[in-house]
Amino acid sequence: MPQLPASHFLYMVVYALLVSIVFATLLKDARREQLKTGVMMFGGFIATALVIGWVMYPFPL
Amino acid sequence: MATKSTTAERPRVAAEPGRLTLVCVLAWLLPGAGHLLQGRRGKGLVFLITVPLMFAFGLWLQGRLFPLEWSDPLVFLGAIADRGIGLPYVLAWMADAGAGTVTAASYEYGNTFLMTAGLLNFLVMLDAFDIAQGRK
Repeated sequence: MPQLPASHFLYMVVYALLVSIVFATLLKDARREQLKTGVMMFGGFIATALVIGWVMYPFPL
Repeated sequence: MATKSTTAERPRVAAEPGRLTLVCVLAWLLPGAGHLLQGRRGKGLVFLITVPLMFAFGLWLQGRLFPLEWSDPLVFLGAIADRGIGLPYVLAWMADAGAGTVTAASYEYGNTFLMTAGLLNFLVMLDAFDIAQGRK
């Protein structure tokens, strides 16, 4: 079994990618629309995670 | 001149109850199978690859396949979500995978991947049901 990468960001990116692909495929029928929705959803996931990460930065654990 | 029909142009006829049940059971057992059975090859293949991949990733991240415990409602809901994936869950259970390593840094991520894969398959199943009903 390969060693697990210790990157929370990487896990989040993989999660966002897979969920975006499934939702875009579910919601749209045309290939172009699926691509557009998937890219927007993926970008939204990553941007939101980064913003929330920065907002939480000053908070102590 | 013959043109390729699009999804919107296909006739929308509700499937008979027997076929509807078959579509739903197959869609639960194997992600995307309900779509493939109804000729939606592109969508079916995407689901067939991505949803089990997500489940496998969850196992690799040392997530846990929760038992059906009535005493703990959150664990029970997690167990329902885990079972949404169908056959991959059965295979993982038979292979004794999904014991979960609580001390692993990726444990919670693994759980999230496993449960999300199951929940996504529920949505995929509902989509296959809608197609079989002639709604899409």
